[in-house]
Amino acid sequence: MSDHDSSHDHDHDHDHDHDHDHDHDHPHAPITADEKPGYYDVMETAVRELLVERKLFGADEIRRQIEVLDSRTPALGAKVVARAWTDPDFKSRLLANGRSGCEEMGITFYDDTQLIVLENTPDVHNLIVCTLCSCYPRPVLGLPPDWYKLKPYRARAVYEPRAVLEEFGTHIPDDVEIRVSDSTAVIRYLVLPMRPKGTEALSEQQLADLVTRDAMIGVIPVSYLKEAA
Amino acid sequence: MGSEALVRKLPNDIGGDAAGKIERVEHELLPWEKRCHALADVLDFHKIINTEEKRRGVESLGSEMIGKLSYYERWIVAFANILFQKGILTPGELAVKMQEVEARYTAPETSHHG
Repeated sequence: MSDHDSSHDHDHDHDHDHDHDHDHDHPHAPITADEKPGYYDVMETAVRELLVERKLFGADEIRRQIEVLDSRTPALGAKVVARAWTDPDFKSRLLANGRSGCEEMGITFYDDTQLIVLENTPDVHNLIVCTLCSCYPRPVLGLPPDWYKLKPYRARAVYEPRAVLEEFGTHIPDDVEIRVSDSTAVIRYLVLPMRPKGTEALSEQQLADLVTRDAMIGVIPVSYLKEAA
Repeated sequence: MGSEALVRKLPNDIGGDAAGKIERVEHELLPWEKRCHALADVLDFHKIINTEEKRRGVESLGSEMIGKLSYYERWIVAFANILFQKGILTPGELAVKMQEVEARYTAPETSHHG
């Protein structure tokens, strides 16, 4: 699955600029129903329809998978993190087997991937990457952001993680070890961030609301700003 | 630069390479991109094209196409090539179907002018 989609993306070396232009930033004109679709859009429709005509799969399977993709957001991962912060037994089960821990919370894995949950501590900070492509814990976080799939993050995270983290505004002190985990088609990672101070009174739901996608990739910490009373 | 580096590392194997500053770009998938992603998943579920095949299919597009096509553009082109290689589709069939799909959008306009 997609997951590995990662696989694909290899943006290679040079293509940084290109990817950039193409994948991301340009504003797309609003799509109107009668607007002529682009070349690759037409190719996707043609490939899909030919395969459906050959009965290799049903058109409904594509629709259903789009619904599955739409249902996966970082809110799922955030629920897992908040549960781990509040239930030590759950946390040890989650660290022992990330996939079954998530499944316990009703999160299904639609692919054949395993999940390893990496716990951040005062001594160790974890970061996830897919150097070859774009492997990512999609069942619990949804689709990865573009920067995760582009060359600068993929190339640099493994050899200068501190500098990379600084670019996200995250300063990790020199006495904290940084561990970078490189995802594969079958093994995915999720960072269990540290619970911020001052959150003792928050409910599990309130804690989940603090947890962001980027914190579960490991590029930023979870922060809790007390409202000025 | 010698050619050895090309042999030692495939184009997608970029971990450890020098690269620029990280720009935190993101975009909401276009409808066709989301369909393409769902198609990839369904192809994998049915063992028609698995993830590793997809990755290899993208790598074999070569560095120029990889550089110039966007993420999902690379995927759909790789899928087409893999389906040709497996004998599931032929380039001719795809070309005919693409014309047919395109005609759905151009036909009304043509008749209007006619």
